Amino acid sequence: MGITLHYFTKWLGRGNTVLYLLLFCSIGALQAQTTVTGVVADNNGMGIPGVNVTIKGTTTGVATDTDGKYTITAPDSATLIFSYIGFNSQEVAVDGKELINITLDENVQTMDEIVVIGYGTQRRQDINSSISSISSEDIEDLPQVSIDQMLQGKASGVVVTNNSGQPGSSTSIRIRGIGSISGTNEPLYVIDGVPISGDSQNKATSGRPIAGGDFSSQGNNSVSPLAMINPSDIASIDILKDASATAIYGSRGANGVIIITTKTGRRGTGKLSYETSISFQEQSRLLDAMDLQQYARQQNALAAAFGMEPRAEFAQPHLLGSGTNWQKEIFQTGILKNHQLSFSGGGENVNYYLSGSYTDQLGTVIGSGFKRYTFRSNIDAKVRDWLKVGSFVTAGITNEEITLNSQQNGIISTSLLQAPDMAVRNLDGSYAGSPENNQAIAYINPVALALTKSNELVRKNFLGNVYTEITPIKGLTYRFELGANTEFSENDEFTPTYQWGEFGNELADLNKRRQNWYSWNIKNLITYRNTFGNHDVTLLVGQEANESVWDGLLATAQGFLSNDVPAIGLSDVAGRTVTDYRGSQALSSYFGRVIYNFADRYSLTASIRADGSSKFSPEGKNQWGYFPAVSGSWNLSNEAFMAGTKKYVDNIRFKAGYGEVGNQQIANNQYSANLAFFDSGLGLGPLGANIANPNVKWESQKQSNFGLDFTLMDGRFAATIEYYNKQSEDFLVVQPLADMITGGFQWEGGLAAPYVNLGVVQNKGIDITLNYNTDPNKAFSWNSTLVFSKFKNEVTELNDQLTLQRSVNTNDYTTVTATNTVVGMPIGMFYGYESLGTIKTQEQLDNAPLTDLGTTDPIPSLLGDIEYVDQNGDGFITEADRTFIGNPHPDFTYGFTNNFRYKGIDLSIFIQGSYGNDILNLTRRSGTLNAFPYTNQLSEAAGYWTPDNSNSDIPRPVNNLGHANLLISDRYVEDGSYLRIQNITVGYSLPTDIISRVKLTKLRIYAGVQNLYTFTKYEGYDPEVGSFNQDALLTGVDNGRYPSPRTITMGLNVEF
Amino acid sequence: MKKYIMNVKSLFLLLSAATVVSCSDEFLNRPPEDTLTVDNYFSSDAQVAASTNGLYNRTWFNFHNKAFFAIGEIGSGNGFSYSSDVASLKTLTISSTDPELINAWRGLWATVAQSNNIINNLATGVSPAVSQGAIDTAIGEAKFMRGLAYFYIVRLWGPVPIMENNLEYVNTPLIPTNPESDIYEFIERNFESAIELLPEKVRGSNYSSNARVSKGSAKAFLAKVHLYQQEYTEARQLAEEVINSGEFKLYGGPELPGKTFGDLFLTVNNNNEESIAAMQWVASGSYGTASNANTQFAYSPYINMATYGGVFAPSQDLIGAFEPGDIRRKETVMLPGDVYPNITTADGPGLVVPADIDAQGSGAGIKKYVVGKTSDLAGPADSWGMMENNTYFMRYAELLLIHAEAVLAGAGSTSDGAALNSYNMVRERAGLDPVASFTFEDLFHERRVELAFEGDYWYDLGRIPQSMAIAIITAQDRGDATNSVFVTPPSGDFLRLPYPATDLAQNPLLNQDPVPYNFD
Repeated sequence: MGITLHYFTKWLGRGNTVLYLLLFCSIGALQAQTTVTGVVADNNGMGIPGVNVTIKGTTTGVATDTDGKYTITAPDSATLIFSYIGFNSQEVAVDGKELINITLDENVQTMDEIVVIGYGTQRRQDINSSISSISSEDIEDLPQVSIDQMLQGKASGVVVTNNSGQPGSSTSIRIRGIGSISGTNEPLYVIDGVPISGDSQNKATSGRPIAGGDFSSQGNNSVSPLAMINPSDIASIDILKDASATAIYGSRGANGVIIITTKTGRRGTGKLSYETSISFQEQSRLLDAMDLQQYARQQNALAAAFGMEPRAEFAQPHLLGSGTNWQKEIFQTGILKNHQLSFSGGGENVNYYLSGSYTDQLGTVIGSGFKRYTFRSNIDAKVRDWLKVGSFVTAGITNEEITLNSQQNGIISTSLLQAPDMAVRNLDGSYAGSPENNQAIAYINPVALALTKSNELVRKNFLGNVYTEITPIKGLTYRFELGANTEFSENDEFTPTYQWGEFGNELADLNKRRQNWYSWNIKNLITYRNTFGNHDVTLLVGQEANESVWDGLLATAQGFLSNDVPAIGLSDVAGRTVTDYRGSQALSSYFGRVIYNFADRYSLTASIRADGSSKFSPEGKNQWGYFPAVSGSWNLSNEAFMAGTKKYVDNIRFKAGYGEVGNQQIANNQYSANLAFFDSGLGLGPLGANIANPNVKWESQKQSNFGLDFTLMDGRFAATIEYYNKQSEDFLVVQPLADMITGGFQWEGGLAAPYVNLGVVQNKGIDITLNYNTDPNKAFSWNSTLVFSKFKNEVTELNDQLTLQRSVNTNDYTTVTATNTVVGMPIGMFYGYESLGTIKTQEQLDNAPLTDLGTTDPIPSLLGDIEYVDQNGDGFITEADRTFIGNPHPDFTYGFTNNFRYKGIDLSIFIQGSYGNDILNLTRRSGTLNAFPYTNQLSEAAGYWTPDNSNSDIPRPVNNLGHANLLISDRYVEDGSYLRIQNITVGYSLPTDIISRVKLTKLRIYAGVQNLYTFTKYEGYDPEVGSFNQDALLTGVDNGRYPSPRTITMGLNVEF
Repeated sequence: MKKYIMNVKSLFLLLSAATVVSCSDEFLNRPPEDTLTVDNYFSSDAQVAASTNGLYNRTWFNFHNKAFFAIGEIGSGNGFSYSSDVASLKTLTISSTDPELINAWRGLWATVAQSNNIINNLATGVSPAVSQGAIDTAIGEAKFMRGLAYFYIVRLWGPVPIMENNLEYVNTPLIPTNPESDIYEFIERNFESAIELLPEKVRGSNYSSNARVSKGSAKAFLAKVHLYQQEYTEARQLAEEVINSGEFKLYGGPELPGKTFGDLFLTVNNNNEESIAAMQWVASGSYGTASNANTQFAYSPYINMATYGGVFAPSQDLIGAFEPGDIRRKETVMLPGDVYPNITTADGPGLVVPADIDAQGSGAGIKKYVVGKTSDLAGPADSWGMMENNTYFMRYAELLLIHAEAVLAGAGSTSDGAALNSYNMVRERAGLDPVASFTFEDLFHERRVELAFEGDYWYDLGRIPQSMAIAIITAQDRGDATNSVFVTPPSGDFLRLPYPATDLAQNPLLNQDPVPYNFD
């Protein structure tokens, strides 16, 4: 036999393959065959459609159907392989069994494997820079309308605060601290390859809001640039944090890059899924404002203090009722409804994902609401073996009702100041006006205004990217991408005529803003990847060009024949005006990158990008910027000598990187002297608009990153610890020039100060991510992730002749300096006087310094005035005695996500918080001014100092807003630390065997509560204050912010 | 294989196409697409002429909006308010962070900055198509406005830096102040230059052509500047040149008998024959091109239909300051029972002041610059309720009083015929009897009642001996109708305002000793 076999193999060796195959097949045919059936399910017992079931050693195979069922005919001796992306493959010998049910384990490791980096992808273990990834599961069930809001607490080094609770409003995202002072600090978003700026202020483009008049509604009303993306469409989010990762984005990478990839279809039977949820939202906290009795007593007391006649109707306060509680009047229960339907699947060569969604949110403040419709189609196809094409297209339409939220007639702060002696409505149902008074001090009925005035914003956004990928030879790909993004926005703001008490609007006003904007983006990318033994090399050469064009039309009309139809055609011809604005910007770029990996132990990445920007003078040398980066890593665990330690600690990697990135996000034409045209009684005429700086150039940022990754306990515990040092140089800042030189703001007829490059800001920080998983195959599993971010921001260099003080407009129509930025301190520190409480004794009064704030004579204090610390000891309280009274930057922020699973039940608990930051509570200041009559105050304002209440630290009332008692001081600075139970969700998935009877593959119901409780000492509505219109220098200033509500959500996910 | 080659071909085509797009200079060169730049603007007479329009309007808005009256009227004791944004002026305790102080400062420096821009840009680069006459007129207007702005600045703050080109100070923001005497010298030079450059004019009945300043306007202001420095000869000579030129006429005076003092303040009479210079307001779609006086002065929204305002009221002291029979009383202050047929209210044309009028508890209301709600006489309002009635920088009546004072020339009293002629023209127009002689106190009082609520009395108080100003202010009842309040002025130069804190922080040299200005 031995000899026969020998000859047989020899004969085979002669190349009689055909015969061999024939022989093999005939042998196969002779073997006993079994028809095997079964269900392939996941850990939850749900059938997985599209699982490949193949006979080992052959190409024969089938795929499971929608219920996870399969049928295959295989030899008795065969082994079946069950494989599916994202799951560990399993092999089972047939051995004559006719029923083989399989449970596949999800392979978390595999899921995480591919990370999207700029212009390419990379295996997680090869990444040398700092990138956080968030998967769709991490953000599901969160009832937020926009993705940026969902990132809160999910990634280390990423601090997310909601600037306002207004539906659809903007968010401040700070990736590793604050690097820019004037420019935006928001990251660049790249959605399916299309770049989108996170700057909601359009600072670098039109400079105009998309809602409201150009100058009339300068409140905290910016809307999120991401509000039109449906969060359910997102597959993964990769956050590029350090400069060695973002340098490939060059001049747009300084604030980090958030790459968002939407879902694509998977090969297998089509899947239809439907998700719906409903949420109820309510303000969890109201402030303690005075009721009518308290108000009447306070009015009487103030009248006495100011030397005014007391009001007759308040002679007997105890006979009065409680009056109107304006806070209750302006808040309502908000309802958020969500529906989303998606279809996905794929065949041999084409994969598809189609979805549509509808979101309808009624805000918690009257007059606010948000609706969104989205449609998405993602398709990719393999045309030939060497040619792939694909497209990502989404359309989003949003419709927002924007409530009054501007600086001085903001509905929230107005509701605190509106007198409770005014009714919301008269007996006949019409809106009431404020009672007549001889000082014409009154706030308009905020309910009437919010419900009468309409401010509607419709945005139609279309975003898409098409690509062609050619692989002419193995390892070499050429990819061409054409992306475009366009938005048409329509804003109509209409104030009808009304008469509420003595306040009336005789002429209705209409502001119509029509803005359209588009950008296109062309990319040519050549990637070459090859492996030579232990050497793995990836080369990238690319070119990109980007242009943005905007055009807006703003029409106003006044005097309408009817309040019902606010059409310009029905307005008074003489009251019509129209203006427009337009502009464009361009960026041209070239870049290259090399990634080298040796034996999975050492890895090196180097990249460089050159950007040319239209922001800078075409005549100077500053139009082009160059941004290099290099990073490397060492995987210690893969060294041979570490083999013994693998069972204790594994995947130990050290990373180090350095990169330079830029920022060019400033308004256009800062290099030229522009004119601004104004109307006058003499007709239209130009005034100088700005002081030109032909030398303005890129803001540059240098960042080093050092990281350590390791896992313990068979990979169940994973840790990433990173340290960074980020230095922003030549930052672009509007030169803070004295009013004497500029003449005030440009819109007031002054010259806008130039953008200059000055100073250095440093951010040093540590990001830690810890993750723990129990065995996911057990009936009970638990996954927990803790992210911790800490950074220290410091201005290390500044032109010493410049002062970076930032002021805010308060509710009392004054402007106060709130922050100051100096060398050696973090940026945007609260700036004011240090107070020592009220002057309570004669002795204290005798020793108190005089107040000398520019008045001709220094003013002696009286008993009951605030005593301030004379910082420079000159015996007077002057401007020079202002000091730093609070730090808006937290010591650290954290997020703690916990997911528990027991059979079909899942529970997630998400806690998030911030520690060590201060808040400047200007809402409280305006609620305790005691400076003028006819205005309501917080209850605490009644406890002001009097000879009979001499222990009070609330100063005596003075009828003068400029009085020293009301200066910005540490009296208004509060600890803003908080710990918030942000989300608790319980879900239940019905077992597969039950739902498969109704042809379902998944049915999950869930209920959750968001913003359940906040542990904080802060006395305002909400310690999560954010930045006023994303301004880094006005962080933590609470000026009547629309608070985030508490939300209860119920939802349903169904899959066919 | 053919297909493959085709694809490689198209690949390079695409690459090169993209490169062409992105490489061209055009792609990265993007001048403003919705406005013009200084470099390409000044190319015709019409463009040069329009370049000064903003100097009559926008640059004054911040100052005029509230501070002009808060300082000029409440500070001086003509006005009264409980409104806490202007109340510091009532008690003469204006701090360096006072919001209206900052607005005044910004607005006045805006006029300086924009005037400088025009003067410097026209002096350097103008298209050959522009006539010298157009350039001269525009530079003359800009110098007039720069002189006028500095005249307000020096009277409010004393020593400040003289800046002739703001761009020079961008990188060296520490600028020393110059002495008041140098600033007055600078103001005189500006008006003198304006007299040379501006055209001659006669103010006729076509009011729209009267809007811009002329040689006569510059002379009138130069006369006032000399008067402030007790340079009576120069003041008198300039005033007489203006009077003799016949450029201006007294509204309701001998040459225009059909008009009245009250008609001066109707919007339809903007730029009338008596107007020497005025801010030129217009109700447009944008904030800050019209006058807020109607909303700030009217005692109730019933009159102006505005949704805010009513900040100012007349002081008890002013209400009692008018002589019996002075028609200016009713045109300055509203009292119960007064009838104003020209004011349209929520109830229609004609206002009969109700018995309970009580703006700020004063028992009265302001009339001057109150035009009522929109009407043919009052003109349109913008979305902020602001209207188009111009604000006078100077009226011919004031020039007559300047003339009378220049003739008086610091003497105790005068019966000089020229002085009496000017003085009595103003009195007779007001329905009062002529006098045979007058003292400085008489003239000072005449100025006050003639110009009340036109933003001038504060500066008058600042140019008389301080003891006299203290006596006047100490005697003023600065309370409301039922509670008298008397304020003792602080010691020192209390009619000087502090420098705004923000600018002092930027430029601490403001508080250092002034250094002489180099006029070369």
